[in-house]
Amino acid sequence: MDLTAEKRLHEQAGVDKNRTTTIPLMHPYSKLEMLMAQYQEGDFAAATALIDHISPQLYRFFVAQFASRPDADDLLQETWLRIHRVRHTYRLGEPVLPWFYAIARHVRVDHYRKTARTAAREQPLEEMSQLAVPVPAETGRGDDLEALLAPLPESQREVIEMLKVEGMSLEEVARATSSSVGSVKQKVHRAYQKLRERMSSLALKKGQSEEKS
Amino acid sequence: MRDGEIDEILKKAAVRAPEIEPALLRRVADSIQPAMRRVRPLPRTWVLAGALVLIFVAVALAGAARAGFYGFEKMDLLERALIFSTLGVLAWVAGTEFVNEMIPGSRRRISAGGLLGLSGVLLVVVFALLFHDYHTEHFLAAGLVCLATGVLHAIPAGLLSWLVLRRGFAVNSVSAGVVAGTLAGLAGVGLLELHCPNFQAMHILVWHTAVLVVSAAVGALVGRAQRSRGRDLRRVS
Repeated sequence: MDLTAEKRLHEQAGVDKNRTTTIPLMHPYSKLEMLMAQYQEGDFAAATALIDHISPQLYRFFVAQFASRPDADDLLQETWLRIHRVRHTYRLGEPVLPWFYAIARHVRVDHYRKTARTAAREQPLEEMSQLAVPVPAETGRGDDLEALLAPLPESQREVIEMLKVEGMSLEEVARATSSSVGSVKQKVHRAYQKLRERMSSLALKKGQSEEKS
Repeated sequence: MRDGEIDEILKKAAVRAPEIEPALLRRVADSIQPAMRRVRPLPRTWVLAGALVLIFVAVALAGAARAGFYGFEKMDLLERALIFSTLGVLAWVAGTEFVNEMIPGSRRRISAGGLLGLSGVLLVVVFALLFHDYHTEHFLAAGLVCLATGVLHAIPAGLLSWLVLRRGFAVNSVSAGVVAGTLAGLAGVGLLELHCPNFQAMHILVWHTAVLVVSAAVGALVGRAQRSRGRDLRRVS
């Protein structure tokens, strides 16, 4: 970490900045938050480390929202360009994951709006209305994340993805989705009801087919 | 099926998620490398919210200084205390929420619509408690003058607020527009309370509160236009 970033970390943590060179850095910040602070200082190595660390999660987030692989690639690149442009809006001490996800979510919503508009314009020529709604990729495996989350509406899907797959806290998910913790809890509850019904019916079907064979 | 079992199934499914290509990560890193430089993070929320409240106070006072403090002079102590403390609290809440709207991943205590609703209802309740003269005179003519004056003062308040938060990034520009409009509208209402000597209950309840609604609607429209503009600019580039 360069000296300026380290000094800033200490200043914001209320530590004596004159002692930064002699005392090992004891700070309350996570590795990601520190990398983000270094990224803001212009450290390319920190930026690369963040890209390597965060991108798989963001990629999974896009794929779970039924983006095709090429779409997910584009969305990821667009998200990082946006992150780079607004990296000064992150403040040290704030949770970093909701900041990333809020931007990724914005890029995804923007992408869907654009896709819907393009599809609406092209519809008369296509004679088909399939373009308006992105469909889950045909994976052929009923237990893929996309297939499991398929019956859920978009708002519930993203909450389940962040909370149960990425392991974010309720507070973090609420921040990322610009909503309250109560609203996140409600979405999770409803999503689990739907998932329970779906999985029970799948298990029932599986049992019946095994009995027949 | 229990929740724990669903958790397990989701975790197993996530492990099988498609791998990201290292070439893509390299492309992402290469795309930002030329623009790497040090950036100054935004100040703390309370600093920015404080600046927004100062704008609210400055616009209301400057407008009233130009037009006259007739309303303030006519009020008794209770009216002054209740009205201006309510406006002050609402301006602080709206200022904080506007800052949160402009910083991705911030904690939201209230939605944009909720803030507008809360502000409107609270003002109506305070006005209804304090003013009981339900006789009306020149309801429309006097009301339109107050509405225009309030909205005209909300515009500079909105522009100055945007100036303070111009380095922010709204993930939902319509929602940010409504909150900014509500804050600016509160500055307009503040000016009217300082200036307007018309204490007819219906005049204050309808026209003074309407400044808030009109200003929030204008904010929403600006936010919507901003969203479309952002999309068009990206298409051109």
